[in-house]
Amino acid sequence: MSAHQEGRDGFFIGWSDRLPRGLGRFLLVLAVLVVGGVSLLGLALSGGVEDPGSGDFDWAAGERTLQGVLTAQPYPVLWLPPAPGRPRAHGVLLSGNGKAGVPIDPATMEGRLVEATGLMLRRGTIEMMQVKGDPTPRDPTVAPDGGSGALVAEPVPLGRWRMVGEICDGKCYAGAMRPSTGLSHRACANLCLIGGIPPVFVSAGAIEGTSFFLMADKDGRRLPDGVRDLVALRVQLEGEVERRGDLLVFKVDLDRARVL
Amino acid sequence: MTPELVPHLVHQAAVAYSAVGAVVAAAFLLFGLDRVDPAARGAYAFRPLLVPGLVLLWPLVALRWLALARGRGLRGPAAGQTRHRRAHARIWIGLATALPVLLLAALALRQEGPLEAAPVRLPDAPAGVRSAP
Repeated sequence: MSAHQEGRDGFFIGWSDRLPRGLGRFLLVLAVLVVGGVSLLGLALSGGVEDPGSGDFDWAAGERTLQGVLTAQPYPVLWLPPAPGRPRAHGVLLSGNGKAGVPIDPATMEGRLVEATGLMLRRGTIEMMQVKGDPTPRDPTVAPDGGSGALVAEPVPLGRWRMVGEICDGKCYAGAMRPSTGLSHRACANLCLIGGIPPVFVSAGAIEGTSFFLMADKDGRRLPDGVRDLVALRVQLEGEVERRGDLLVFKVDLDRARVL
Repeated sequence: MTPELVPHLVHQAAVAYSAVGAVVAAAFLLFGLDRVDPAARGAYAFRPLLVPGLVLLWPLVALRWLALARGRGLRGPAAGQTRHRRAHARIWIGLATALPVLLLAALALRQEGPLEAAPVRLPDAPAGVRSAP
């Protein structure tokens, strides 16, 4: 038997039962490096991916009761007063149970101080309440902002923008579901929008540090039914962006929308 | 020279080259291989697999065979493998370094596709508004 057949010269032989001693050490070190390196690479890559969330309500906090000013246009939002660490009024999107929105009569409820009770959904800075029942009007003389006027601040125009992203329903995006793709995702989102849940635009990039936008038509009203053809697809949209409290509103010009 | 003559000559040359190659291959596999590569002694099943390459590269095979038979080029029975393994080790280290660098560079330098386009401020946007990644 020659030297290399006995494995003394470090030459690998496929049919041999024995690994050469030097090659065995090399393979052990290599295996440790590959397994460790791939594990670290996996950790590093997954660390850069947005947390998909639990896809569930904040059951731990239970039902919460919030008091704020209600606005109905373009979609129902409850505005909470600024607080320590939150210099601007905080907009909480409102929805009803399941795939239904909150039926708000703008003529009677717009700008009123209300109290709403429900379960919270949260993804990043976007927050939504699934309201139990209807928001209850409170004594209009009790202003939650202490009379500072922060809750009725005028919208701040941020200019006209072109953005690439996806139109989602605000409830699923806020955390009721995990991010998804495909036909069932699209059907789910459209059913939510038909039910009156606020649509949000999730942009590929951020404006003023925010990559989701409450949507409205170019005049600041609810989106027309035609928007359903653009939901849950990669689209390019143009429109005016304005800040209301800590929410950015994207007043989209649907005539210039383009599916990518 | 007629136009038909050129392909005829090329064909004849190829046939002659292949015929010589077949003779060299047969001789090398029957008599030469055992002398220049001790690891091949007693192993026959793989030899027909070498025939196409030997026929195509017979001048190189003949030169190497001659050099090895005269004792030039190799020192010891496994010198050929040692040289190849050293080259393999160098290439292995080179690829093990280059491939991750290429992958990371491609990730770092990749172009932004239309699906990841950042928001673009259109002309009538007021000054002072910034886009943040």
